[in-house]
Amino acid sequence: MITRQLGSEVRWMLRRPRTIIGLFGLVLVPIIISFGIWTASDEGGGGPGLAAILKGNGMVVPIFTLFLSLNLLLPLVASIWAADGLAGEAQHGTLRGLLVAPVSRVRLLFVKLFGLTAMSLFAVTLMAVVGIIAGTAFLGTDGMMTLSGTTLSTAEGLVRIVLFILLVTFQMVSIGAVALAVSSTTEHPLVVQAATMTTIIVFQVLGQFPSLDWLHPFLITTGFPGLIDVMRDPIPFGQIWDSTLLAGCYLLIGTGLAAMRLITKDN
Amino acid sequence: MTTSTSAPVTAPTTHAVAARTKGLRKEYGSTVAVDRVDLELPEGAVLGMLGPNGSGKTTTIRMLLGLVRPTQGEIELLGQRLPDGVEQALPHVGALVEGPGFHPFLSGRENLIRCAAFEPLLPKKQIKQAVEDALERVGLAQAAHRRYRGYSLGMKQRLGLAGALLVPRKLVVLDEPTNGLDPAGTREIRKIIAELHEQGSTVLVSSHLLSEVEATCTHVAVLHRGTVVAQGELTELLQAGGSALQVITPDVETALGALRQAKISARPLGEGLRVELAGTSAPQVIETLVKAGVGVYEATRWKTGLEELFARLTEAEEAERGMSSVDTLDGGRR
Amino acid sequence: MNNRKVTLAAAAAGVLTGAAGLSLLAMPAGAGQPPSLPNIAPETLVEQVLTSKPGAFGGTVEVDNKLGLPSIAEIPQLADGKHSARIWTDGNGKLRLALPNGQSEQTIVDDGTTTWSWNSQDNEVTKSEHKDGRKDEAKPDNAMDPATAAKEIVSKTKEFSDISVDGTARVANRAAYELVLTPKAGEKTLVREVRIAVDSELKMPLRVAVLTNGTAEPVGQVGFSQINVGPQDSKLFEFTPPSGAKVTTPEAKEEQQRHKPEIGIEQALRGENPQIFGTGWDTVVGARIPADAMTQVPAEAQGLVDRFTKKVSGNWGSGKLFTTKVATILIADDGRVVAGAVPEQVLFDTIGQVK
Repeated sequence: MITRQLGSEVRWMLRRPRTIIGLFGLVLVPIIISFGIWTASDEGGGGPGLAAILKGNGMVVPIFTLFLSLNLLLPLVASIWAADGLAGEAQHGTLRGLLVAPVSRVRLLFVKLFGLTAMSLFAVTLMAVVGIIAGTAFLGTDGMMTLSGTTLSTAEGLVRIVLFILLVTFQMVSIGAVALAVSSTTEHPLVVQAATMTTIIVFQVLGQFPSLDWLHPFLITTGFPGLIDVMRDPIPFGQIWDSTLLAGCYLLIGTGLAAMRLITKDN
Repeated sequence: MTTSTSAPVTAPTTHAVAARTKGLRKEYGSTVAVDRVDLELPEGAVLGMLGPNGSGKTTTIRMLLGLVRPTQGEIELLGQRLPDGVEQALPHVGALVEGPGFHPFLSGRENLIRCAAFEPLLPKKQIKQAVEDALERVGLAQAAHRRYRGYSLGMKQRLGLAGALLVPRKLVVLDEPTNGLDPAGTREIRKIIAELHEQGSTVLVSSHLLSEVEATCTHVAVLHRGTVVAQGELTELLQAGGSALQVITPDVETALGALRQAKISARPLGEGLRVELAGTSAPQVIETLVKAGVGVYEATRWKTGLEELFARLTEAEEAERGMSSVDTLDGGRR
Repeated sequence: MNNRKVTLAAAAAGVLTGAAGLSLLAMPAGAGQPPSLPNIAPETLVEQVLTSKPGAFGGTVEVDNKLGLPSIAEIPQLADGKHSARIWTDGNGKLRLALPNGQSEQTIVDDGTTTWSWNSQDNEVTKSEHKDGRKDEAKPDNAMDPATAAKEIVSKTKEFSDISVDGTARVANRAAYELVLTPKAGEKTLVREVRIAVDSELKMPLRVAVLTNGTAEPVGQVGFSQINVGPQDSKLFEFTPPSGAKVTTPEAKEEQQRHKPEIGIEQALRGENPQIFGTGWDTVVGARIPADAMTQVPAEAQGLVDRFTKKVSGNWGSGKLFTTKVATILIADDGRVVAGAVPEQVLFDTIGQVK
């Protein structure tokens, strides 16, 4: 029963026109990046962070793409899915239908969280795969050069990419869980998206003020830059672990609030 | 129970009930949406729930389906106490509440398949067949491949009905099922309700269209201002409430005075009077009038329909509150 | 009803756990209970520190700096704030350092014969072969390693200090003695004390903290936040320049950077022949920068210099004084520079001796 409900949820999300458009947009990112670096590759590279080592290093494109998208694009997509999941269903009156079927409210949240996770993983993986293809096609590759100047074999590089996919997906799901909590309080999906994106942007702005450094450890966005450590060699897991724990706290809070709201909500 | 006429019909029924509520109350903030609702839905009955908009019909239905948590009171649904038993009861309940709810970007069929995936009583292998059957039943088979977005109001309503009928149900709850339907559609809904009744399902139909209820229901519950003002078998209710005499006379004032003296309730209506026959009889009324020297041109036994009953029930309430009776009638029509 | 309450309570517990987790993550890692170790005489400990030969280890070094230094482009790890670096050594001179700089990284690998320095930001490798196969001692990166830094401090200042052991501490999850060096009464220095956490087993310094007069918190601290002692993967001490990276020599690199004045001052201070005045804590380092280096300072940089310095003058001439909590630098207008962990008066008294 649960598997068929989960399957139905994912099929339903995949059938949405906006999901298709969103995925299409996400896939464009690594292609544009690869193309951009390729056309600019006559100059001597340079630039901060990963951008500096992209030249001739196509395997880094998926990681660079995901790292870049994590700041805005992926939270946006997660918030859209979370918004449609509860607020959108309430708006169309379909949430009532599900509850009367009946689907218990806890299970409903589980189904929604699963849909969000499955689709996030799918979107992130899709971006990474397209990134590998576009990156190697435009920029070529012999393994993967790390930020530490070492060169990994293709297999080792793929392991790094898979690790990064999982880390980024987890961040995305945590943001989505908080968005689900917002989603459970309203019938307007746009409110959910606006609230989520505003929060992410405000967090990033707050993160720029050194005078607010007491606040920074609480902001989920603080954990984003640390994920780049996947591209160092050997990988220092300290920051990666901290970022993941931070996101895990958001996941717990978001899921808990959404559950509390759903259980007590009148529909 | 709040009016004298409902007294004989609220006697507790001893036979099995599909649903029962006791002292149901729901507050939203400081407003009371529903109060002291004691509803009884006998097994196999078709209960018409009547009431003007805002009378608490939908809130009551939503509480019955476990969508809304009552502030006070008890609910029993198909032998299960709510809210604990809601998951045992609801698989046997088909519902169309507050209009059909579907995803605009999916076709009618895809929408039903999604609903079916969440039906506990429907084995996976039977989903396809159940969906086709339901579409056929509501006459949507031809339009099933089209997107819900493009459906007319009537088609949407039918799809909603199909969703409620995916699985054989013990109880079907239909909230305003004929909304947006043309006369032919309305007839089809009536046919479906009759079929369900024949198959032994219990049906709860809420509506503000009295004729519809009169045509399809075996039982009636009238809600007004958040509470049940009358309920029982349709025939009993009509009998109990259906006694009035219309008297055409030029001498309305004198007639009213005479009747008042005789403690018979009456009020002016058109060219004459409308006389209530509660506690009195037609010959007695005529006698009183004639004795008072009032010329009676014509006296007609009022043909009581549900509309009349409904108007009187809700009006009586208004009169008690010292408000105009016209509002209620208007409210009852939409 | 009951079921619902249980679920609700579970959800609320989830929220609380998440919130508690956030606060825990935000809290600085607690020092933990200081371990109990057998007493040790300060002299013995100092002796052991100086003779200890740290074997192979790998670890993460945290630098917590409240000195008030302006950030220097080349060594961002020295700017104010917390920085971390990773270090691996095989105990026999092979070394790998990873200095993250934002999302970039500088990696320095010493494979025994060659020192490679890689900077991801400009995709460039600096290759420097050791003269006579001997290690270049003047490498700035040694300051990043608490063990080396502490050893140097201890060897240079022990005779000018009162030495004591002040309890124990837990550093990078290892038990350590807190060795405290307090400048003797006659020393004219800004430093109040230097605390060195010495590993109780290996006698290797794990953390160095510098405290100055008038502050309770260390103004500078270098210490391991994580360390694993034992043989390290030998691949760590190899470096192959990535294909596509530019490989240069340090000489070429220096040529490239000659135009940067802040590097000029820095190099002058740790240049070929720094002049040393005094001994112990109030040692003053002096040098003379070519006058043209001073005039070449671009306007913006000049503004920066002005913001961080104060104009001073005396019978020695006039110049700019740069003060941090632990050190003072005096740059005379004629190019003479003196610096030390001393109050400004000591610099005024010393600058006349700079040749």
